[in-house]
Amino acid sequence: MSELLQVTNITAGYGDGPAILDGARLTVEPGKVHCIIGPNGAGKSTLLKAICGMLTIRKGDVVFKGERLNGLRPDQILRKGICFVPQERALFPKMTVRENLRMGGYVLDDTKLRDRRIDEILERFPVLRERADQHAGTMSGGQQQTLAMARTLIVKPDIVMLDEPSLGLAPKVVQEMFDIMKMMSKEGVTVLLVEQNAMMGLKNSDWGVVLDLGRTLFEGPAEAVLADPRIQELYLGGRKVA
Amino acid sequence: MTDILQILILGLALGGVIALMGSGLSLVFGVMRIVNLAHPSLIICGAYVSYWAFKLWGLDPIATLPIAALIMAAIGVLLYRLMFESQAKSARYSEMTVLLTFALAMIVEGFLGAAFTNTQRVTSPDYATDAFFIGSLFIPKGQFYAGVVSLAIIGALTLFLNYSRLGYAIRATTQNREAAELLGVNVNLISMVAFAIGIGLAGAAGSLVSFVFSFFPAKQWEWIAMLMSVVVLGGMGSVLGTVVASLLLSVVAAFVGTWVGATWSTMTFFLALFVILLIRPQGLFGEKPELA
Ligand SMILES: Nc1ncnc2c1ncn2[C@@H]1O[C@H](COP(=O)(O)OP(=O)(O)O)[C@@H](O)[C@H]1O
Ligand SMILES: [Mg+2]
Repeated sequence: MSELLQVTNITAGYGDGPAILDGARLTVEPGKVHCIIGPNGAGKSTLLKAICGMLTIRKGDVVFKGERLNGLRPDQILRKGICFVPQERALFPKMTVRENLRMGGYVLDDTKLRDRRIDEILERFPVLRERADQHAGTMSGGQQQTLAMARTLIVKPDIVMLDEPSLGLAPKVVQEMFDIMKMMSKEGVTVLLVEQNAMMGLKNSDWGVVLDLGRTLFEGPAEAVLADPRIQELYLGGRKVA
Repeated sequence: MTDILQILILGLALGGVIALMGSGLSLVFGVMRIVNLAHPSLIICGAYVSYWAFKLWGLDPIATLPIAALIMAAIGVLLYRLMFESQAKSARYSEMTVLLTFALAMIVEGFLGAAFTNTQRVTSPDYATDAFFIGSLFIPKGQFYAGVVSLAIIGALTLFLNYSRLGYAIRATTQNREAAELLGVNVNLISMVAFAIGIGLAGAAGSLVSFVFSFFPAKQWEWIAMLMSVVVLGGMGSVLGTVVASLLLSVVAAFVGTWVGATWSTMTFFLALFVILLIRPQGLFGEKPELA
């Protein structure tokens, strides 16, 4: 088996509410960039929340490195090596950049190691270094997203899940975000992202997963998904592919 | 000139005490997003601890402050488990908890009334009726000590929130509960700890209040309005804001009390609450409410 994470036909929803996901599946292979696409309300965010332990999985399995994750809490799943960056509000706006990074290493007991990794990250991301003592909430959207992504690196996770990292950013900045993701995957961090802009997302990924109405329609190599006629169909009726 | 300085000093000393009374309320609101209407009734519990310790054994109320704080913090843990843990999954959490804290306030008042009657009490260590004289300035020792101890406790709280691991977790949970949880913070445990600290602060404030103001169980209704106004002016959930607002409003109230009339002094707080809610609901240090 070469997959790092395998989600098989899961059913999940919010609280006692109806099942939002029903028949969602995906395969994550180490070191690649994976992109979940699908129309608004398809359940993309819900799928990431189910994987990271924020929602109860009612049916199906989430298997990571051969181990079932069903029923674990978010902090337990983080310690296993899966880090989730939620849509938009991922930061602590009234904490400085450095304090946000420190929170990123909250689960690390070794504070020296944590501080060393924070220094490494500040070294690698000059935008963050220059603003280390500035409140996160005062930075631009792109800078905030950079911080949210960089912050995941402190725990050296196996998988980073990003929910719409491009949301509300200018096209040029969006490309910077994808460049950071590629850099992360080159360093061995597997990326699983949700992207509203299917064309953009797939072009920057290795693997595509198409979700609609809470279930996975199909998944495959990104170019194949991009070329698939079913995509055009799914996005017909006012929804743009690009 | 001396007049103004005199009023300023009295206002600041009282403001310090009010800041401590409000800081626990603010902390609890920040982390749990609930307005604990029972907060003043719990301050009064703390006041009775120090009152009786003085009355029965002659113990100084400042010396019994840590005891009042610990007792109230322990009660805070019990209340949290009883009231909030069971409600955490409820879809109507906010409405339920506001009503629950309102009910709690009345229950506490009822119990205190039954146990200690509605007689006005005031702890009377020697310094409560003594004063410093600096030139023509007169500084009541009781208010001065209470203000200084309050600000020292708030200083310690600020250091704790800003530099300890637990403090980081509390601030993170306040600012973004979901993100904190995703980074491995046990947000339910943190909520309980923050609630216990908040109620412990109520206990500590109670000890000081016991010799600064006279109190009885129903006094809580006057205080809830006063504390709401400092917490709202400061920006709900901002401890620093609460301190600034307390000092500010107390000084204003002191001037109003002297120049306009004593009955208008407390009105300063209520009017401020009303006006702030209308023109700047996020207060001095709070965030602009998000458009839903
Ligand atoms: N917190 C929530 N509570 C209840 N239902 C929700 C919640 N968040 C999302 N949903 C519902 O789940 C469905 C899928 O939402 P979501 O996963 O956010 O879609 P996507 O990310 O693909 O746009 C929607 O019908 C939405 O109304
Ligand atoms: Mg979404």
